[in-house]
This record gives sequence, C-alpha cells and structure tokens, in this order.
Amino acid sequence: MSDPVLRIDHLTMQFGGVIAVDDFSMVVNPGELVALIGPNGAGKTTAFNAVTGVYTPTSGTVTLLGHNITGLRPDQITGMGIARTFQNIRLFSSMTVFENVLTAHHLRRTSNLLSATFRLNGAEERQMRKDTEELLRRVDLYDLRDEMATSLPYGKQRLLEIVRALATKPKLLLLDEPAAGMNPQETDELGDFIRRIRDEFNLSIFIIEHHMNLVMRISDRIYVIEFGKQIAEGVPSEIQNNQAVIDAYLGGGDEL
Amino acid sequence: MAKKKWDSASVLSALVILCLYAAVFIAEQLIPPTSMLFTVLKKGATYALVAVSMNLLNGFTGIFSLGQAGFMLIGAYTYAIFTVPIAQRAIVYQYYNGGVVQFTLPVFAAMLLAGLVAALFALLIGLPVLRLKSDYLAIATLGFAEIIRTVFQWDKLGPVTNGSNMLRLFPTFNDFNLRNAQGEITVYLSTLVPLLISGVCIAVIVLLINSTFGRALRAIKDDEIAAEAMGIRLSSHKQMAFCVSSFFAGIGGAMLAMYQTTVQAKSFTTAMTYEILLIVVIGGIGSVTGSCLSSFLFVACSEWWLRFLDQKQVIGGFEVPLLRNGFRLVVFSIIIMIVVLFFRQGIMGTRELPDLFRKRRSPAKGGEGK
Ligand SMILES: Nc1ncnc2c1ncn2[C@@H]1O[C@H](COP(=O)(O)OP(=O)(O)O)[C@@H](O)[C@H]1O
Ligand SMILES: [Mg+2]
Repeated sequence: MSDPVLRIDHLTMQFGGVIAVDDFSMVVNPGELVALIGPNGAGKTTAFNAVTGVYTPTSGTVTLLGHNITGLRPDQITGMGIARTFQNIRLFSSMTVFENVLTAHHLRRTSNLLSATFRLNGAEERQMRKDTEELLRRVDLYDLRDEMATSLPYGKQRLLEIVRALATKPKLLLLDEPAAGMNPQETDELGDFIRRIRDEFNLSIFIIEHHMNLVMRISDRIYVIEFGKQIAEGVPSEIQNNQAVIDAYLGGGDEL
Repeated sequence: MAKKKWDSASVLSALVILCLYAAVFIAEQLIPPTSMLFTVLKKGATYALVAVSMNLLNGFTGIFSLGQAGFMLIGAYTYAIFTVPIAQRAIVYQYYNGGVVQFTLPVFAAMLLAGLVAALFALLIGLPVLRLKSDYLAIATLGFAEIIRTVFQWDKLGPVTNGSNMLRLFPTFNDFNLRNAQGEITVYLSTLVPLLISGVCIAVIVLLINSTFGRALRAIKDDEIAAEAMGIRLSSHKQMAFCVSSFFAGIGGAMLAMYQTTVQAKSFTTAMTYEILLIVVIGGIGSVTGSCLSSFLFVACSEWWLRFLDQKQVIGGFEVPLLRNGFRLVVFSIIIMIVVLFFRQGIMGTRELPDLFRKRRSPAKGGEGK
C-alpha cells in the first residue's frame, strides 16, 4: 500500500573503533507510534542522530516517504518532514516561549533577507505569529508565552521542546527520552499528550524512552537494541515476555 | 508577540533619539566647530556603527570574528579611491602618474560601494573561514585583516591604492556643511550628518535583528544543533550575517576615512579591532544600545576626558606623580580590566533602550539603537 513514513535499512554508525549502531533496520508506518528501547549506551540516540542528519551513517540508508535522505543535512531533513527533540533539552535560552516556537516557522518563509529586514513580508510575519499563538493555545502554553523558555519548570520545558518541533509541521516526530526527569503524574500526562498530538496533527511518532510503563502503554510497536544490534521487535505484550529483552535489562540494571 | 506594534516604550525611545539629534543640530550652530564635543560625536558615530556591526556577529550570531579592521580598511580605501576629485589625482597619486581610476563617484554612492566591496570580500573569505570553530575562526579573521593591510600597501597595486602613501583630498565630514556663494558656512552639518548616516545604518541592523532572520541568528547563537534541527541552514545564515556585518564595517571604514581626512593602510591595525571589541564588551554583548553608548563613552575618554593623564600637572609647585605621556593608556587598560572582570554584563547586558522604559525586563523586542 502506501510507503512507510520512515524506513531504515542496514544502518551502521561507527565512531573510530566503536560501533554504536550495527546493521539496524526498521520501519515506521503512517500513524504508527513506534518505540526504541534498550539499555544506556545501546546506540538509540546515535540512531536518531543518523536519521536526522546530525551524523552521516557509516553505511545503510534512511528513507522518508520513499525519498532517500541518507547523508542530507539536518536542516534539509527537517524541511522534508522530520522534527525531533533532544535527550538533553535544547531550547533557545535567550528567547521566550513564544519566540522559541516562532523560530521554528523560519524554515517555511518565502521572504528573503531584504524583504524581511524592511518589513515587506508583513503578511507572512503576521501569519507566523498567528500560527504560533494558535499552537500555544492548543497545548496550553499560551499563558506562559512571554516567559523565558529556560525559566520554565523542567516538565514544561520538555513539553515546549515538543511543541517547537511540531511548529515545523513534521510528518514524523522523533522524541528522545521525553519523560526523562518527570514525576509519575507528569509522565502520565505526557503519554496522553503524545497520543493526542499523534491524532490531532496526523503524525507518525518514533520515541526513545526509559519509562517502561509509558512505553508499554502508548506504543504500537517496539524495537529493542543492545550494543547497537536489534535483539527484539514486536507489540508491547510480546516485548514484555521476551527472554532476550529481560536478560538485557537485568544485565543493564534498568527497570522493565 | 501580538501586541501593538508601537508600545509606549518604543515611542519614548524614538523621541529620546529625536531629541538627541535636535540637540546636536542646535549645538553645532552655537558652539565653535573646533570643540572636542564634535570630535567625539563624529568619531563616536563611526565607532558605534562598526561596534554594532561587530555585535551582530559576536553578540547575535555567536561568530567570534576579529576581522573588523580589515573590512574597515577595505571600506575606507574604496571610498577614498572613488572620491578623490579628478583635478587632485595627479597630486595624490604623484608616484603613480595620477593612478588608474579617472572618475569620481558621488559621496553616498561611494559609501554604498565601500560597504558592497567589503561584503564581497566577506563572501569570498566566508566560505572557508566560517567552517572553522570559534577560536580558529577568530585567528583566521585576524589573519585576514593583517593580510589585507599588507596587500593594500603593495607597490604593484599602487596605481589603485597609492601603495604605502596616504590617500587624501577626498570629501570629508566638513564637506557636509552648507555654504553660501561666498563659501562661508551657513548651516553646520558636519556632525549631524555622520550621526544620521550611522543612525540609519544601525536602524537597519536593528530591523534585521528583529526580523525572522534575526531570530534565526539568535537561535544559532543559542544552540547550533537545535537551530539546525529547526530547519535553519547554518552555513548560509552565518555567511549572511558575516556579509551584512562586513557591509556595515565597510561603511564605517568610509566614515573613518572622512573623519581622519586621510587614509593609510598601516593605521588599520589589530589594535583597532580590539578597541571595537572592547566597546562591544563594555556596552554589553548582545545589546545594540550598549554598543552605541559605550562607543561614545570610549571615544570621549580616550580623546578627551582622560587626556589630562598624559600631561604633566603642576599644582601649587607640586608636580603630580605618574602623569606623563602614555599614562592614559595605563589607566584605560585598568578600567577595561575591571569591567571585564567584574561587570561582564557590560553597561546594558542584553537590554535595549526601550527596555529601560519598561518596568520588568520583557523579552528582547529591540527598538531603535543609539
Ligand atoms: N560522537 C560520538 N563519538 C564517539 N562515540 C560516540 C558518539 N556518539 C555516541 N557514541 C558512543 O555510541 C554509543 C551509543 O551511545 P548513545 O547512542 O548515546 O546511547 P543511548 O542513547 O542508547 O544511551 C556509546 O558507547 C557512546 O559512547
Ligand atoms: Mg540516548
């Protein structure tokens, strides 16, 4: 039928002698919410970085909606429809909540340097601001719009990072440990939020997460990697009872 | 922000700036033109523009470039080369048969060209240099400025640059004064016009900073990886900031030529770049208003208020110790060290003029510089 949104084929990512991702393949289908789990240092973030162009894969291909995007620059890949968040929050620290989200609209500008400087792009600028405002209202961050982004409580910063990624109008959203540092209640709310934006924004979502309750609750499918290699793949109930996965986590000392 | 376009703070700021311009105009008609005040205002206007252009890179884009003197040199030479009156070329280019350029441009066209040529150089060296990481980029741009300084003194380029001889007899700030048929000055404008030129250029930079491109630059400064992930192409945006900054440094160079009335490559030293850098730091990295204020303060101190430190003072038959030629620079350096060590935010931090009229520090929305 239709192309998968994301397809990774035989991805290998090597840093000197370290093979961080080893011949890893996977797909994310339209509308799917797929999780990538594995012990610390398994290569999950590296896989994200290879998909989003932060690293150029040593070998293998990454395909977005039928287009080969292997080796493209991060900004090109974002322009083609992948947006992401970071394991260590990376908000723009000199900007307000509003400006952080507004900046994400820059990539869809039609103005050039001169027309933007001399304000000949009034309509476009107004539209950007209107869209930003609307988005902030939809996710209940509107009241915080004039706060400095980095002065928000931690959970809100994580939320804002997701919203900023949404503002690039992605088809696929990559979330790198969005619940890290959140308390159980915030984690629950986050789970609902992720499902809600998947439905409301017609997204496919690919998520790295350590909170197993959250992963098991929201994921359609799960990939498990250890030492860069896939050790399991399946729906949550399959993964929970998979012996290789249980061993990997017991060995790594992580919760399952 | 969906607020009104002109809030009261911005209006107040605009009024303050307008009043300052009016005050300068009136002062210029009343006070003798030889007053130190005008020297400071003219040189301050020049330095303010160059400092703001440097701030655009260092403070708003996070590119630590030290090439400012090089781009000023290019601007100063471009301006001078194309404005020396034809009748004077034989005198100015006496060792090069009157030089090869045998036409002149109007003053404002030459200033614009000065900016464009500087921007062109920036475009060329930006390609290799902007790939470098911070420290290396600083060293490379510093090296560029030194090379430019040598190249412009090269004998073979003499028919254009006049080699190591100075360029002179081109229009200066004094030519902005209006004269009657007898050649007497009727309206003094030699201070107001440079301030206006500088003000307009700085206003353009402020507009840029507050546009969607300015936000992209700030995003790059805050976090390159996140900026890239938001679809902002790093190389083209850095290149753009570098060219715009150099464009205005070039115009600043043309203004410096007009201020000095002569141009010589050897005066565009690394020390000049450091002066500009100090102005930016003292004013506040990331504040246009700060760069402007500190330019005038810096120039006033170095040209005027601290001059007495260089002269022997005898009070009641007692010679004050330490005051002798060169002591001014010592005091100056100490002040700078104190600022850098204890007031790293500079005068303004990242605030702008309109922020001073607001109660709470509200997000950088900018406003007019100066
Ligand atoms: N830029 C890099 N250079 C060298 N090694 C790296 C780099 N990025 C990641 N690694 C290594 O790759 C492995 C996987 O790291 P990472 O992908 O961050 O793990 P995870 O996100 O699963 O916890 C680690 O051993 C890490 O040290
Ligand atoms: Mg990780």
